[in-house]
Amino acid sequence: MDTDVTMTDAAQSTLSPVSHAMSPPSFEKSAINDTQSYNELDRWIEMLMDCKQLSELDVKRLCDMAREILVEESNVQPVKCPVTVCGDIHGQFHDLMELFKIGGPNPDTNYLFMGDYVDRGYYSVETVTLLVAMKIRHPSRLTILRGNHESRQITQVYGFYDECLRKYGNPNVWKYFTDLFDYLPLTALIENQIFCLHGGLSPSIDSLDNIRALDRIQEVPHEGPMCDLLWSDPDDRCGWGISPRGAGYTFGQDISEAFNHKNGLSLVARAHQLVMEGYNWSQDQQVVTIFSAPNYCYRCGNQAAIMEIDENLKYTFLQFDPCPRAGEPSVSRRTPDYFL
Amino acid sequence: MAATQQSPDQARLSIYAPTVTTPSITRAGWSIYCAKTAILKSDEIDQTTERIKIPLPEMIFGNNHVIVRHDASGWEIGFNAVDALDRVDKHGNPDGGLVKVSYSEAWLKDKAKSEDGVHEVVKPFDWTYTTDYRGTCGPKTTVFEKTDDRIPLHKLRRPDPILFFEDIVLFEDELGDNGISMLSVKIRVMPDRLLLLCRFFLRVDDVVFRIRDSRVFIEFGDNEVLREYVVKQDTYANVKRKVPFTTRDFGLFLRDQNWVAEQLPTIEAVTEKAKLLPGHASSDVR
Repeated sequence: MDTDVTMTDAAQSTLSPVSHAMSPPSFEKSAINDTQSYNELDRWIEMLMDCKQLSELDVKRLCDMAREILVEESNVQPVKCPVTVCGDIHGQFHDLMELFKIGGPNPDTNYLFMGDYVDRGYYSVETVTLLVAMKIRHPSRLTILRGNHESRQITQVYGFYDECLRKYGNPNVWKYFTDLFDYLPLTALIENQIFCLHGGLSPSIDSLDNIRALDRIQEVPHEGPMCDLLWSDPDDRCGWGISPRGAGYTFGQDISEAFNHKNGLSLVARAHQLVMEGYNWSQDQQVVTIFSAPNYCYRCGNQAAIMEIDENLKYTFLQFDPCPRAGEPSVSRRTPDYFL
Repeated sequence: MAATQQSPDQARLSIYAPTVTTPSITRAGWSIYCAKTAILKSDEIDQTTERIKIPLPEMIFGNNHVIVRHDASGWEIGFNAVDALDRVDKHGNPDGGLVKVSYSEAWLKDKAKSEDGVHEVVKPFDWTYTTDYRGTCGPKTTVFEKTDDRIPLHKLRRPDPILFFEDIVLFEDELGDNGISMLSVKIRVMPDRLLLLCRFFLRVDDVVFRIRDSRVFIEFGDNEVLREYVVKQDTYANVKRKVPFTTRDFGLFLRDQNWVAEQLPTIEAVTEKAKLLPGHASSDVR
């Protein structure tokens, strides 16, 4: 395991400006403003880096701490550059480790994750626990947004719920996390220039202030602006469209151009869709899709990518391949069966 | 028996170029060619979309295929994603029969209140990718004709050694987290026979389950190929009701394609037979 990725220097953390950012008045009872809590967090992070899950009780404490931090964040959370922007992870823990190897360890590298930490992959529990722990440890150096999978309903169908049951024997950990997901910010704004979110734009939203006005602390609704931000997709066709599925929007290049212009943005960065190369420009470079789960579902053979944004707001895409690990299922080699 | 207009038999192995030229196995004069690789790259997706005229499934294994070929006669049948997708309803059923996600009605009703002026459905097509694909035949493949013969299941239930087995996904789409649509091919070759199953599996959460199975059976030494096509369908609610009430995890059952297949009633089933051309007798098995 990459020990350089773990953060064990408590002295360093007390000097970091980070600790100021996370002491709202209500924070006293979470007791994270002492060295002992930092030591505990570092111990948790070290365990999680080895893909070992925390105890149910520790997950509860972790989620309580995280909630205190996330509740203070904006629906359009401001982020400073340099920062590295990442797309879907989907419980592919070992590939997340590869991502940190490629992008550099946090907190040395600042990260912005655009949601979908859980479901599909086999290590949703370890993946989301680690990211939340890292968030608490260095809140200003890691931003975690909400994806459409950070929801009670979706996780009951696509794996996270089952995984929690399997690994803890009861659904409590699933409940702690899905309750926490309600607090995740919906979007982020890098240096007032690059707008980051999981899905896409919404016909009910013209400006970033519209987003700031939303009451986000709730389960992802089935319709409305909050739902759109987490679900919508760019499309080749101009204007707004309704998906052939009978729910959800698609938006054309004219829409993203108008939105970027009105809000003084240079780019919309989003995730949510699988792309073979890990990233994909669309709509005349108004929109970029970033997907950070290589060999998605252990069988797609796709590359993953992350977008590094330097202090001059110049971006570079880093692509990476899956890192094969013992103990991980190889879907490509199935045992013969007497199917009929 | 609906799906017999414009038989897929007439399709030819022209729409894709097989990427594998070495057989995975040859047994009794029959060769199996399997290609199993990554999803299509962006430029391949663009080209294929241009040809097929509908948005492709999220996971499109367009270079995967399975081909079963009789070496002596050149008789062959193949399975690939592009030919299967070419048979999806590309315009939306004019009777309004397109499946909608479970919360579509509520979504549209709520949307109407917001008066956002968006009314047009983008390029309607059968987004479930339901296909009646039964394989792609080569130029030397004789025509399949309806038969009263049936695939001899008793022979396939024997624990004969499996000389070759493969399980290849052709496409898969999570339907925007509304379920799954998947087309995959399994093949097993035993000493005296082979069975291939091309299964289309659809689950639209809280709406519907669909299965369309194409089975190809070859008894080595017989100069014929049997193909069975079965359509199964039921509502999501009906299937969910059959999940044992003792389980804590009904999802486990609803994701298990074999379990679901056993629960769904058969809507349509047809067995066809293709005779190998005379003079091209299969080589002797033993």
